[in-house]
Amino acid sequence: MSQEDKPFFVGYLDIPGPLRRFLLLACLAVVGIFVATGLLIGSTQDEPPASGFRFDYGRQTVTGVIELTPYPLLRVTQGNDLIKPGKTLMLSGQGKSGVDAQAMGLEGQLAEVSGIILQRGTIDMMQLAGGRRGLKMVEGDAPEMETEPLGRWKVAGEICDGKCLNGAMRPGRGLAHKACAALCLVGDVPPVFVSTQPIEGSDFMLITGPDGTTLPKAAYEHIGQFVSAEGDLERRGDLLVLKIDAETIEVIDG
Amino acid sequence: MNQAELILLLVKIWGGAGALVALAFLTFGIDRLDEDARGAYVFRLLIIPGVLLIWPLVLWRWYILADGKDEWAKRYQPKRNSHNIFALIMPVLIVGIIAAGWSVRQTWPADVAPVQLSEPGQ
Repeated sequence: MSQEDKPFFVGYLDIPGPLRRFLLLACLAVVGIFVATGLLIGSTQDEPPASGFRFDYGRQTVTGVIELTPYPLLRVTQGNDLIKPGKTLMLSGQGKSGVDAQAMGLEGQLAEVSGIILQRGTIDMMQLAGGRRGLKMVEGDAPEMETEPLGRWKVAGEICDGKCLNGAMRPGRGLAHKACAALCLVGDVPPVFVSTQPIEGSDFMLITGPDGTTLPKAAYEHIGQFVSAEGDLERRGDLLVLKIDAETIEVIDG
Repeated sequence: MNQAELILLLVKIWGGAGALVALAFLTFGIDRLDEDARGAYVFRLLIIPGVLLIWPLVLWRWYILADGKDEWAKRYQPKRNSHNIFALIMPVLIVGIIAAGWSVRQTWPADVAPVQLSEPGQ
């Protein structure tokens, strides 16, 4: 084909005959490659387990004792059909924020909380309604709550933020979720450790720093990575709390 | 300094240098290079984000144009041969990056069991 006979594509003119088949095949190939690439990458990702906001439960209101680990927990004393007494709820605010400021000063006191439950398997959290509707002190003597020490443990798994892991985002964990989890933890959403194997019957535990401190900043480096770490473990109601030593965190090879 | 702080520092340095280049280029540089820009000011605000990002290229083109080294006719030459090389390199790079990401991805250590190091109170 001479240079003069060579078909030339001009967007606003009719497509030259010899170019039609080529353009059709090129379009189909591009769409096919995008679909195939999407399926290929998607197939390498784990299926997120059933989790998320339980709006179908409606707003839940329960009463209990506030504990600061320093992340605020509610040890339920007066529950309802869904949330039974003895349950321990992690608490978070709207968006990427915790409720430390609201809970401060209420430690060891009876409080009524109201909000939406996030649930993933055996672990759950309550996203409190805004203002005093979400958290308010109630009259009455708060019962003494037991904390059962479980000794020192070396655990393996992943540091996540409790809210996204519970289903506020899906998959809510892993390297792709690292930045989101870091923002949540900076906003004081309670952090959670996902264990490779159950400990005392639970795959999940709230994590704090040693001696009643928040998660050490050094641990933020390892959010979303598979790590091992040591710390003192305790049980508060049905929730495990791991007081992690940031110096012991090691990335697991492989 | 952790990785996030390092990235933030680099962004600040890059953006700071870009701001200086934008200040100089949009206040007097652009008037010398483009006569159509003389007397027009509002559009310069729109260019600032772009200059912040590609300020080394802005400096380079400013130098070339101001020094009279610009060979404008070259811009109108077909460059299909060099396009072919880049058209080949880019998909290979993309596939390479994805493959590298897969290869360094950790696998869930399901076989690593939790270990109790000491009993309570010890």
